[in-house]
Amino acid sequence: MEFFKKSLDPIVALAIIAVMDIFLFQIVGAWTVGGGETMIAGLFVRALIGAKALNRIPFWHMVFKPTWAYWKIYISLGMGFGALVSAILSKEFYWRVPKHLSEWIMITIGGLLMGIGIRLSFVCNVSTFLGLTPEMNLGGYLAVSGLVIGAWVGSWAYKRVLGV
Amino acid sequence: MITVVGQCVAAFVFGTSVGVLVQRSRWCNTAALRDAMLFKSYRNTKALLMAMMILTLGFTAMISVGNGNPMRFDVGINQFIGLFLFGIGMVFAGACTVSSWVKTGEGNIGALWALLFLIVGLFLSSLMWSFSYWPPAGQTMTGQPNVAGLQFGWADALTLQRDTGVPAIFFGVIQFLGLFAIYRRILRRERATVEGMNPTPAPTPAADKMRMDLASATPSTARFDTNANARSPS
Repeated sequence: MEFFKKSLDPIVALAIIAVMDIFLFQIVGAWTVGGGETMIAGLFVRALIGAKALNRIPFWHMVFKPTWAYWKIYISLGMGFGALVSAILSKEFYWRVPKHLSEWIMITIGGLLMGIGIRLSFVCNVSTFLGLTPEMNLGGYLAVSGLVIGAWVGSWAYKRVLGV
Repeated sequence: MITVVGQCVAAFVFGTSVGVLVQRSRWCNTAALRDAMLFKSYRNTKALLMAMMILTLGFTAMISVGNGNPMRFDVGINQFIGLFLFGIGMVFAGACTVSSWVKTGEGNIGALWALLFLIVGLFLSSLMWSFSYWPPAGQTMTGQPNVAGLQFGWADALTLQRDTGVPAIFFGVIQFLGLFAIYRRILRRERATVEGMNPTPAPTPAADKMRMDLASATPSTARFDTNANARSPS
């Protein structure tokens, strides 16, 4: 319980995660986020419009056939669950709601851009930095360049909009 | 060979551990880039580099002995464009995919909102893909260059090992050294910043004694001296 009373050095945390990720790489594959969310999107829409209607969309019967038996979903759900347990045990759980309309707008645009970006590249930030690049995939270097430039443009725009 | 249930259990255990560690450490990939650019703060950047160094050695070592499951992913311009949009999005949302889940677990409604719209964005893009069939998806990638699709084929540590006959770990060590050089540069910059904040040498005991004597002799001067001392960075 002492663990939940003090904060952890991010270098130590990421080093532990990296060692665990090497074991995951052996069992199923490197840590990725984005694939799980895509599957959650498919499952959610299938529940809304039905399997027949969803199957008419080529992406959902050629690339991602919605199924709960997809391991990447459980990484994402596990992260939320782990953070919830940790926040409760460390007494850091409380509801936080953005106060200003500008924040809601920025978050909405940001979320949409992240979703579109993931689908366009078929990778996210985690699989870029902690999957493709350590595997020395040239696509990882391209993706890192895109992400760094994008973050720079985003930071510049953020500065202009919110005057940070 | 692990069963599907085993894969899902292993993924959940891994995800839960990541959730706990990221929540306790407050690590954020967005901050690793944004804080380095906006505030010249490298707390999260150093952690990201450390993970990349460990993973580079770990993954390439496993590939060298024929283990592991590397992503069979073709290199394409879509990866640059996609992550460019993602980079803007994560700064706007104030969280990447990992910290969105972690912050949601902490009760942050803004992060949950970002996740919801990330899923909306994913679905809208799936409609776009269905219309153009571009870019090639994992299932439709050939591993060969495809100029029309702006794809350059599959190239990673495994293909390097296969094509050159040199174990992947050799290339991994070269990448590790490159990442370590960036890490060291950040450490040096941080050290220079700290030293820049302390331009004046620490007061000697003799100087301290003189200040005490002044304080007891002339209260007004002493007050001025104390305030000036408090304002100066130490």
